[in-house]
Amino acid sequence: MSLGEFLYDRLGRIVLWLACLGAAGLFLAATGTQPGVLALLTAVLLLIFLAVQGTDYLRQRARLRELERILEGLEEKYLFTECVPPADTLYERRLFDLMRRAGRAMTGAVSDARAAQRDYRETVESWVHEIKAPITAARLVCRQLEGEARRKLDFELAQIEAHVERALFYARAESPERDCVIRQFPLSELVFQAVENHRTLLRQSGVQIETQGLEQTVYTDKQWAVFILGQLFQNAARYRGEAPAIAISAEPLEDRVQLSVRDNGIGIPEHELPRVFDRGFTGSNGRARGGATGMGLYLCKKLSGFLDLDIQLTSEEGAGTCVTLSFPAKLTKL
Amino acid sequence: MRKIMILEDDPAIREELSLLLRNEGYAPLPVTDFATVTEQAAREQPDLILLDIGLPGQDGFALCAALRKAVSAPVIFVTSRDSGLDEVRALSLGGDDYITKPYSVPVLLARIKAVLRRSGAVGSTDTVEAAGLRLSLTKGTLTAAGKTVELTRNELQIMACLMGQAGQIVSRADLLDALWDSQIYIDDNSLSVNMTRLRGKLAELGLPELIKTRRGMGYQL
Repeated sequence: MSLGEFLYDRLGRIVLWLACLGAAGLFLAATGTQPGVLALLTAVLLLIFLAVQGTDYLRQRARLRELERILEGLEEKYLFTECVPPADTLYERRLFDLMRRAGRAMTGAVSDARAAQRDYRETVESWVHEIKAPITAARLVCRQLEGEARRKLDFELAQIEAHVERALFYARAESPERDCVIRQFPLSELVFQAVENHRTLLRQSGVQIETQGLEQTVYTDKQWAVFILGQLFQNAARYRGEAPAIAISAEPLEDRVQLSVRDNGIGIPEHELPRVFDRGFTGSNGRARGGATGMGLYLCKKLSGFLDLDIQLTSEEGAGTCVTLSFPAKLTKL
Repeated sequence: MRKIMILEDDPAIREELSLLLRNEGYAPLPVTDFATVTEQAAREQPDLILLDIGLPGQDGFALCAALRKAVSAPVIFVTSRDSGLDEVRALSLGGDDYITKPYSVPVLLARIKAVLRRSGAVGSTDTVEAAGLRLSLTKGTLTAAGKTVELTRNELQIMACLMGQAGQIVSRADLLDALWDSQIYIDDNSLSVNMTRLRGKLAELGLPELIKTRRGMGYQL
């Protein structure tokens, strides 16, 4: 609060007071008070008035700064009213009371929302858990079929599975701290698991996979890292070109390991590159092909943040796409 | 025949799994009464146990510990909850492997085979012999009539797969599955290329016609 603001706020009071002082002066002058006495009286009254307004200003400014500092220091700003110092005046006490009531309503709403989110996540998780049984059964039944029908059904089942998996990780990404288990893994373990999870799609798309330098170890959560790699493989298979191939290679870079997943697919137009990690962004390729959800890379980016994983994407139309994941290779920040 | 005990509460999966394992040459033991699992296991002495962690009214982890005491068979955990914590817990409680639903069938079969091999229930040998050939898996060489050729990793896997089922027709899809299980991710065309090279090497051994192409069905040694 600046002095100007304060004066403007009290403008009415000041004008009224000055007017009263003027009127009293005129009255006293008209009734024959000596000019010297009148001047002294006016000066003393003005001084008192200024002193009162000045202390008011200084006190209010200090009080506001104190409250300001308390708010700054709070992690959860909506708990402010629970942390304010005792009220100085009746008016302030009443105001704090009102704010406190509003704050409590807000705290209630926040904890309700948190509980609802947790419920939602648990429901999605148990639903995903349930749906895996019939998918597994269908997979096994599928083995009894022969030829084309089996191939097609296998493929469709893999699609269902991929969508279900994305739903699961979407729900998990909302409260990630719960199942993150950071351990040391050789990159080969993560890559081979991801290939295994998507072998139906990769095999049927005729994708060839080359690996190099995967003996290096990184610190990460296995499920999440495998999910991220799986999204990249699915994209590579989905947006493939002639003789599709995925080259997976790793190299150390200071205290990190950089894993590159490079495909020779149709690539992404340059003007769409800044938006590929946006939620729901499908791009011209996705629209042309259909069936794109715009969730894969969005989830990759989001989960990467929790794993201290740096994800970069470069692409050239007609030549292919390369996604680089930089994993922590030492236990430092995590 | 290797006995595989199936602990799975979903009846559809249990039946299909039994059928699949029987077709693959194992003796499945599907369990329907989960209250007396350890007694049944002690009686039947299976070679391997497939254990679903989420059995109704049972803590899969506690059950695994009990099974461990009752029998010496290796245990593969099957679960649809794929959180990292579960995996850590499963393996620390003495599970030999861990697989999440929905599993792909070739992957499940490969895991079963690998665990059985590790536990010694299936003899694992360095050399495979069939049709007058001797294949050394560690040296990567193929010997016939005193002559030896060196094989690449891909050719070695193809040859091992064909020799393991000598006389039978092996489909291209089965060959590709076997290669993918060995973490050799090649496509259909590359399989043809590798097959041609392999035949070239067999010709060096004086056996150019050893691998027969059965049109529309696969290959046969």
